[in-house]
Amino acid sequence: MDFNFQTIIVVLLFVGAVFFIIKKFFIKSSENNNCGSGNCGC
Amino acid sequence: MAKQINVSLIGNPNTGKTSVFNLLTKLNQQVGNYPGITVERKAGVCKLSRGVKAHIIDLPGTYSLNASSLDENVVIEVLLNKNDKDYPDVAVVVSDVENIKRNLLLFTQIKDLDIPTILVINMADQMKRKGITIDIPELEKRLNTKIVLMSARKKQGIEELKKSIEDYKKLSVAPCLDAFEIDPEYFGGLRRAFPKQSLYKLWLVITQDVNFANISRKTISDTSAFQTRKESELKRLQQKETIKRYQFINETLKATQQIDIKNAKGLRASLDRILIHKVWGFAIFFLILLFIFQAIYDWSSYPMDMIDAGFAALSDFFRASLPAGPLTNLLVEGIIPGIGGIVIFIPQIAFLFLFISILEESGYMSRVVFIMDRLMRRFGLSGKSIVPLISGTACAIPAVMATRNIENWKQRLITILVVPFTTCSARLPVYLIIISLVIPKERITWFVGYQSLTLMLLYFIGFGAALISAWLLNKFMKMESKSFFVVEMPNYKIPLFKNVAINVFEKTKAFIAGAGKIILAISIILWVLGSFGPTDKFSNAKEIVTAQYKDQEVDDLDTKISSYRLEHSYMGYMGKAIEPVVRPLGYDWKIGIAIISSFAAREVFVSTLATIYSVGSEEEETIKNRMASEINPVNGKPLFNFATGISLLLFYAFAMQCASTIAIVKKETNGWMWPSVQFVFMSSLAYIAALVAYQFLK
Amino acid sequence: MKTTIASLKRGQKAIILSVSTDEIPLKLLEMGCLPGNEVMLLETAPFSCPMYLNINGSHLAIRKEIATHISVEIVNS
Repeated sequence: MDFNFQTIIVVLLFVGAVFFIIKKFFIKSSENNNCGSGNCGC
Repeated sequence: MAKQINVSLIGNPNTGKTSVFNLLTKLNQQVGNYPGITVERKAGVCKLSRGVKAHIIDLPGTYSLNASSLDENVVIEVLLNKNDKDYPDVAVVVSDVENIKRNLLLFTQIKDLDIPTILVINMADQMKRKGITIDIPELEKRLNTKIVLMSARKKQGIEELKKSIEDYKKLSVAPCLDAFEIDPEYFGGLRRAFPKQSLYKLWLVITQDVNFANISRKTISDTSAFQTRKESELKRLQQKETIKRYQFINETLKATQQIDIKNAKGLRASLDRILIHKVWGFAIFFLILLFIFQAIYDWSSYPMDMIDAGFAALSDFFRASLPAGPLTNLLVEGIIPGIGGIVIFIPQIAFLFLFISILEESGYMSRVVFIMDRLMRRFGLSGKSIVPLISGTACAIPAVMATRNIENWKQRLITILVVPFTTCSARLPVYLIIISLVIPKERITWFVGYQSLTLMLLYFIGFGAALISAWLLNKFMKMESKSFFVVEMPNYKIPLFKNVAINVFEKTKAFIAGAGKIILAISIILWVLGSFGPTDKFSNAKEIVTAQYKDQEVDDLDTKISSYRLEHSYMGYMGKAIEPVVRPLGYDWKIGIAIISSFAAREVFVSTLATIYSVGSEEEETIKNRMASEINPVNGKPLFNFATGISLLLFYAFAMQCASTIAIVKKETNGWMWPSVQFVFMSSLAYIAALVAYQFLK
Repeated sequence: MKTTIASLKRGQKAIILSVSTDEIPLKLLEMGCLPGNEVMLLETAPFSCPMYLNINGSHLAIRKEIATHISVEIVNS
């Protein structure tokens, strides 16, 4: 497996995805929702 | 020079306030949440005249400023706090022509807040039909306000409203009655103690126990010589205040409004008689439900097929046009199928919400709540739980959000906890594929076959599990909660298309926003876990397997290579690790992986199996064929046999597998306790049921 | 004849006599359930719960438990 451009992006995406899931589920205090005037719909 | 006017739209529920909002803002709306709480905040922009814009907040519908629920609290928060960014320059109270008497209570309260106020009388086109005549100028004088007659349905009155908003400075802020005559000594004292504050605001602070800036109930009782009163005395004062307001309203209306009784009756009474009827009411409701489910099933299959084909084409396109490499593979094998897996549910979810919205807009839903309430209470639920339970058959996320109008906290909590048992759309692909693999195609009678029967049974199992769990929770949860059920039974009306459309759009968006990001993230993670492996066995898979079959004629060498590679990827090792746990249920490591990944979103089960069987594979075999040919390594027989199939079906019926649902339950219950309880309970039930089924049936 | 809303029969009209502040939420009063106002029972669900009433022009449904705390005087039509 050679470390080309594509592989780097994949790794970044993977890490980003993992962080996202951890943040969503394991951080207690994160008020995931702060839609004062934003467009959340959730 | 752009000028901005802050407008608050406020009024009783069912007055068509939303229609007025929609008319003013058209599609320039945003739906979000008030910070920190689970109340919907609807805001929009309306262009009044050149350079002047109105920022409009559609506050939650309420009958009075005396709040009895979270969303009613929001109304006071906005209207009492001058520093709130939504604090209005002008308040528009929306009333409907049939219920003016009751609507005016809220109006008189708002008038006491020192905010310029406009009174909209909506549904004015009905006035003649109902035999109602109003002396508008006299009413305007007595109420100290500007009245705009509107028919949101016929789009009449909107320009006059816009103009009145723009001219808000001309409005008087004097109250229309002196509510504080009821106890001159008490209120006189209050006024003397805090001369700079609006008296009514102070009164609200005391009775509602809310805090704004530097005023709270405590500061009032601490600060001055002012003697505050006991709780029960306050309640009596509130009753007196309400009586006084109604006295004023009655006098005012007597002088300005006339109703010709002859014309006042109508369709409502006759419709109510049938729709609430002890027998017919239920029968009609049941038939309507049946129709809805059948329609959803039929209507969505065409768009779903199109979406399916579309995403497959998209995958092919990218594979052909992008340079080969891991990113392209991730895109084509992980991301696009992942997103496709979400998009494909949009038709079903949108259709279900279309029907629910029509039923609500027409007024019928209140009647359903009415006839179902007693039955629901047996199970610890409320009549109002019926909408979330039905919505749950589309998706649990908007369903949980729909519980917000259940006043009783215990009933609301129980509803939230059991809604995930209802068969949501995401379970369907799993059900369908397993059913087609293991249930015989024969028909029992000419229109019902074993397969459709099984599907129906699964729906019933879902509802049954919800009701039984609710019953258990009700029995064992000791919770203090007042039972306070009041349902307004609005008049029947033909649903306004625009309102329905906007409603459906918002709910579908909630589903996508709630589930979309999570599913996308997990798709990426899964793909990576399945496409990379820790050992040499993975990287040299091709050589190893080719060597293995060196001396044999093998047709599907490529498939064997893919399989070997998968087995030695990270995902494969994870699957092997949990295999002992799932083997008693009749599963192998591949199913084990699919189950784990469907904790992201249930429909991911099928797409994970698809990924598992197509990762690395160049051929296109349908999932089903591949699955049918899988052999159980333990006994050499087909893996997807009857026992395993049933076990899987039951597992999916009961398991709490939707990460997005857990997230929304955490938000709506403000903590991790309840979603954890839910997760543990449902997963255990799923495991045991699947275990028993498999062991019993094999 | 003095009774409570809970005992009304379908189609019966009555005048509200008193509303207990402890048992009855303010909201119900604010929707028109006040002494002196007229109430009529329109329909009931099976087992009389909930009850669909016309109170002072407002069409609403309440559960029987609450209805027992509102005393009324039946109007002889």
